[in-house]
Formats: sequence, structure tokens, C-alpha cells
Amino acid sequence: MMKFLKQVIDYTKEAGQAAKYIGQGLSVTFDHMSRRPVTVQYPYEKLIPSERFRGRIHFEFDKCISCEVCVRVCPINLPVVDWEFDRETKKKKLNHYSIDFGVCIFCGNCVEYCPTNCLSMTEEYELSTYDRHELNYDNVALGRLPYKVTQDPMVTPIRELGYLPKGVVSGHDLPAGSRGAGKLPEEILAQMESDAPKEEAKAAE
Amino acid sequence: MTTGIDLQASFVQILEQFGLPHGVAKLVWLPLPMVLIVAAVTVLALVSTWLERKVSAAAQQRIGPEFMGPQGMLVPAADVLKLLTKEDIVPAKTDPWLFTIAPILVFVPVFLSFLIVPFGQNLVITDLGIGIFLWVALSSIAPIGLLMAGYASNNKYSLLGGLRAAAQSISYEIPLALSVLAIVMMSNSLSTIDIVDQQSGYGILGWNMWRQPVGFIIFWIAALAECERMPFDLPEAEEELVAGYQTEYAAVKFMLFYAGSYANLVLSALLFAVLYMGGWESPIPVSWLAGLLNVSETTPWFQVVSASLGIVITLFKAYLLLFLAVLLRWTVPRVRIDQLLDLGWKFLLPIALVNLLLTAGLKLVFPGAFGG
Repeated sequence: MMKFLKQVIDYTKEAGQAAKYIGQGLSVTFDHMSRRPVTVQYPYEKLIPSERFRGRIHFEFDKCISCEVCVRVCPINLPVVDWEFDRETKKKKLNHYSIDFGVCIFCGNCVEYCPTNCLSMTEEYELSTYDRHELNYDNVALGRLPYKVTQDPMVTPIRELGYLPKGVVSGHDLPAGSRGAGKLPEEILAQMESDAPKEEAKAAE
Repeated sequence: MTTGIDLQASFVQILEQFGLPHGVAKLVWLPLPMVLIVAAVTVLALVSTWLERKVSAAAQQRIGPEFMGPQGMLVPAADVLKLLTKEDIVPAKTDPWLFTIAPILVFVPVFLSFLIVPFGQNLVITDLGIGIFLWVALSSIAPIGLLMAGYASNNKYSLLGGLRAAAQSISYEIPLALSVLAIVMMSNSLSTIDIVDQQSGYGILGWNMWRQPVGFIIFWIAALAECERMPFDLPEAEEELVAGYQTEYAAVKFMLFYAGSYANLVLSALLFAVLYMGGWESPIPVSWLAGLLNVSETTPWFQVVSASLGIVITLFKAYLLLFLAVLLRWTVPRVRIDQLLDLGWKFLLPIALVNLLLTAGLKLVFPGAFGG
């Protein structure tokens, strides 16, 4: 009899605990309802891409020496370099250059290895088209610069998580002039330069 | 106790003044409340789909539908329009008859159950003698439809979903009926009007939720299971069963299932409000308010105000419960099928039985407080 009673009591306790946890869970979800939505309302708001963002590749026609390094380092030999040898100047003359972004994986090897820096990454990522052949960019299309998110009057730029002040998790409604956690590279450099004489003095002692 | 406004009597009276015989006048009246309720229920179900989207979004720190009409309010209308214009697909090797009848069999009983949902003293289609029992009886037709849908779809997911739905509906029907029975015992009537009347007079303190706290919880759990809401939505558990018995359905037939499930949720919330939260009674008694304003309760304008207040209050209570259901959806994880049946048969059923016996005992001991 006592064993049965104990079972009943344990069962009741468990039921009570389950109810308590459900209550706690409900209070969490209810609390979330009053928080500001964290979603970026895409066509009207856009995240500012980071400095290392690997977007569509930009190409400067005049800088290119047709060395084809970009083709060799590309995992699938994607860039098409159309050149001919100019006998008069004894130099390669570039006729056309194109990259198909329907195939490109944006690994950035070509940008990394280009000896004349004629290739670079942009922050453009809106490449959707109705026809995949439109993604095959020629040297004219590759030479265009994307519209910056921060300068677009139609778009509210939102900072990414890594660029928010310490403890802030949403880029919405930031006070003006608020800056990200940590120091900028140039600030670190300035700090190091100002510290350098002191350390030299210490070493001299 | 005031009778409030009686729309039927006044309507019939007006027609009789135009020289119509009494029977014809009544016949003209008959379809009006039915059409009104069907339209109202459709709108309420659509509103609840919108509410589901918005509350879900808020709980997940999203915005939800925003641009289709003000605050995305036209999303349900767009949904209906889309489903109406889609192709009505019947997959190969299905049982065409069962496949077609199933959604109707799920949809119709839900709408039929609104016969007994009262929005005021006389604001109900019919005050049936069997009242709340009609709902219990009608809601046991749905599992047949679900089973038919699962069986006829020629799809293993559908069949599993249908079987699960049937098992779930049948096991949770019993605790649901038992908790309703305790209420019925207290109010000495099956009629929904009488059940609300029995709770009136003391405002929020007179509601059944204070006298039936256990039944209150059991009913809500069982009602959620009946509606296949989140902690118990395993008949259509999308991670395991694609969409359960709805997998093969499209267009209008899918819409019947979809509308049926939301209408069922609204119905459960409304009946929950009627059974446990005093139906159209406001938290502060209307008669007390009338005394405060120094107007007689039989004043026509006051009767109109109190009737509309009753409708608003009923809907408010129902939508409060709907909100709770949506919030629960994002709080509680889905139970397994064995856990579901354990909860139904080993927990809710014995507790509901004990609750019923306890109510009977209390009714004998305190006939005043428990409706002797």
C-alpha cells in the first residue's frame, strides 16, 4: 500500500514538474514576442558585406598581361583569355576576357595569384538572371563596379554581427556614431608605433 | 436573468406584420443564421490562419506577412484564391470515391458543430437539448474521414498518418467527453446556453474554471490533441510523414482539410470558452455595470450593447486560447506516438475519471456551489 502511495506521489510530482517546465518554456516564447525582429527586410534593408566578401569578380582590361595564371590556378580553368601575339610590339595583345559566374565557385584563387592585380573581388552578390547564359560576363561586364549598399538611397544598410558594438546582437536601430567592438587595423598600428620608442627604451635599460 | 434580445422573435413578428403566416415567416428566418454562422466561421478560421502566421513570426523574432494588405491580412484570402484555382489532382491508383469523400467527411462535422456554439442568450442557431453532446458525437466522425483519406491515398505516409490520426482522435475523445461530463453534471443540462447561465452572476469568479481546474487542463490538452495541434500533431509530422494523410491532397480537397483543421481549432476554443470561461459573460457582470450606469437592463440600446459585448467577449476568449495554442506550438516539442497514447490512456483518462467522481461527490456535499 505504501509503495503504491509513493508511486502516486512520485507521479504527481513528475506531472507538476512537467507543468513547471512547460510554463517556463511558455514564458520564454512569450518574452520573445516583445523583442524586435532580427530579420533583415531584404530588398529594403541589406547587410553591408565585410571587407573580405568574395562577390562577383571585377576585371581591369588594361592591366591584364594575358599571362593566364588565373586560368591555371582556377579549379576548373574557368576564365577565358583570348589573346594574340603582336609581332610589332612583341607583346601579347588581349582581345577578350570572360568568366562564367554560373560555373565560378568564388574561391578567389585567380584574384590571389593575378600578378598585376587586374582581378579583384567586389561585394556584389545579386547575380540572378532569367537565363544562365547571361551569367557569362565578358570584359565589359566584368569591368563594371557594383552599387554600394551604403550609397543606395532605396536601401537601409545594416551592419553585420562582427561590426556591432560589444554586446549588441542586432544591427537595427543603432545609435549614430556607434562603432564595432575592438580596434581598427590603423588604430592598432598607431598604438604599436607610439609604443615602439618606449619598448626600445626598456630594451636599452 | 434577462433574456436579452431575441432576433428570431422580432424578425418573425416583423414579417407577420406584413401579413405572412407564422410558419412562412419562420421558414424565411431559418436560413439566415445558418448562412451567417457559416460565413462567420469561415472568416474566423481565416483570421486564425493569419494569427498563426503573425504570432509564430513574433515568437521567432520575425515580422511575418507584411505587404499583402495591411499587416498581411490578405494572405488568407490569397491562400483561398490560390487553392481554388489550382488543379484538382487525384493520384494514380487511389480510391477515387473515398479520396473525394474523406475531406468532406472531415470538414462538414466541424461546421455542423457550430450549431450549438452560443454567442449570447439567444444568439445561437439552435439550443438543442443534447447540446454539447452533439459536438462530442460529431467530432468522432472526423477520424473516419481521416482514416479514409489515409487509406484511399495509395501512399504509405498517408496511411500511417491516417492511422495515427484515428488512434489519436479516439483516445483523446474519452478524456474530453469525461471532462465535459463533469461540467454537464454541475449545470444539470447538456445545453450550452444552460451551461453558460449556470456560470453567470458572479463575473469572473463564477466561471467553471475555478470549480473544475483539473477538467480545465484536461479539456485543453485533449482539445489540442483533437485538433492535431503542435505537441500532438504527429498525424502530419512533416519530419517523418511528409504531411500525413494530407500528403496526396491538393487544391480544393486540401483546402477542405486545411479550413477544417482551423475551424476545428476555433470551435474547440469557442467551446472551451463556453464550458470553462463563462461564454459570453463578461468578467464583470453586465447587470452590475447596468446598475453603475443607472440604466434598466431591459432598455433597448443597453440590450444591443450587451449583446454585441457578449459576441466580442466570446470571440476574445476564443482568440486568447488560440493565441495560447500557437504559443504552445513554438514551446513544446512534438510527443512520440507511444508517449501520446500513454498520456491519453494512462494519465488523462484516470485523472478525468477521478475528476468526474470528485465532482459528483462535491455536488452531493456542497449542492449550492456545485449545482445540486
